[in-house]
Amino acid sequence: MQVFNQALQSDTECFKPMTMPAQIDNTQLAQLLSNIATKRDKQAFTTLFGFFAPKIVNISRRKFSNPDQANEVLQETMSNVWRKAHFFDVNKGQASTWVYTIMRNVTFDMLRKVQTNKEDNLSDDIWPMVDESQAKTEVYDDHLAKNHILASLDTLPENQKMVVKGFYFQDMSQEQLAEHLGLPLGTVKSRLRLAIEKLKVQLGEHHD
Amino acid sequence: MIKHHPTQDLLQGFVTGELPASLSAAIAMHNDMCPSCAKKTAQMMDAQASQSFEELDMHPDSVDEQSAMAVTSSFDFDDMIGAIVADEAVASIPIRQPKTVTMGDKDYVLPQAIEIVELGSLSHLGKLTRARLQLGEGKIHTSLLHIQPGGEVPEHTHKGYELTLLLDGEFDDDEGHYVAGDFIMLDGTRTHQPRSEHGCLCFTVVNEPLKFTQGLNRLLNPIGPFIY
Repeated sequence: MQVFNQALQSDTECFKPMTMPAQIDNTQLAQLLSNIATKRDKQAFTTLFGFFAPKIVNISRRKFSNPDQANEVLQETMSNVWRKAHFFDVNKGQASTWVYTIMRNVTFDMLRKVQTNKEDNLSDDIWPMVDESQAKTEVYDDHLAKNHILASLDTLPENQKMVVKGFYFQDMSQEQLAEHLGLPLGTVKSRLRLAIEKLKVQLGEHHD
Repeated sequence: MIKHHPTQDLLQGFVTGELPASLSAAIAMHNDMCPSCAKKTAQMMDAQASQSFEELDMHPDSVDEQSAMAVTSSFDFDDMIGAIVADEAVASIPIRQPKTVTMGDKDYVLPQAIEIVELGSLSHLGKLTRARLQLGEGKIHTSLLHIQPGGEVPEHTHKGYELTLLLDGEFDDDEGHYVAGDFIMLDGTRTHQPRSEHGCLCFTVVNEPLKFTQGLNRLLNPIGPFIY
């Protein structure tokens, strides 16, 4: 682990990982995930990466004889951590279990491709990372809730407000919004996500 | 009330992702209907995650860690981190589009675990209707089997295993009465003859052809491949 951190730090100018204890500290891991979710915190991600990468590679090497495939598991797992960190809910489980779940799903889909020539990526349906009740609360179709949200919307920065209004109240797709606003799709998506995070904090307990 | 559950070994294989897709989907569907197995699975997940990720630290000088390092040393992690964080997009919550299937004149919403699996065309035999799931798992054949009210599957046995997950309705065999969510795993030593008074829909996984065992039913052996 220490060797690994040094290796990581040697050429890294922008993201210096914090030191992580060798044993799993789920509170700290959860905090890192939360920083990634709410702040797109690259340093937090680098720290998480340093902690999990050797473990993931080690586990994957036992499943795939080809080292490239073990690295692919690592890349795919950690990209999902980066892109899905906002799905992690500290009240529903441990951070290490959440990362393990992603790694297990990535591995399952890759092995299935090798063994069956199917590219159907079933893991997200067999082991959903987002449960349906969570998906439903994102829709906000309840009338009173909508009024409540409209009031909270005004507290958002203008660029996030536009994205939320377009997506939730004018039923535009993220792609349409990107075109309409002349922004890259990724920017629309991250603005939307940040806005939702903020709204959730504002609306607080009423929505759980 | 659900009385038949996956064994501990099967749940463990589900947790580690080492079961075929057919059995993994069956356990996912069972867990959706069975809070006690869902809870057990969640606990096993925590234990498995801790064990897998802590293993390295228990043997800090292990060959495993060194070999992992050796494998990865030729690989530039900084590049990987850089490429990952350069992607600004965050994953949006997937929008599900529930799929229905009509079997025996009844519409069924498919459980999420098998929602996107391609279904073969329907085959009919008396009061039985079967649709094969195109999972591509070789000898392991997975199907949706619908039994109309009053229908039955002739008594049979099999060399491998036969899993029946009751998704909707009820059926009986000589051992008892089964309800939605029941997870019935039979090995080759047992015979059974499910019959359904009011009709039912089952998810079945079989890894060897069925053999029909009794009297005239032996003549039915050609329908083995129908259910298998």
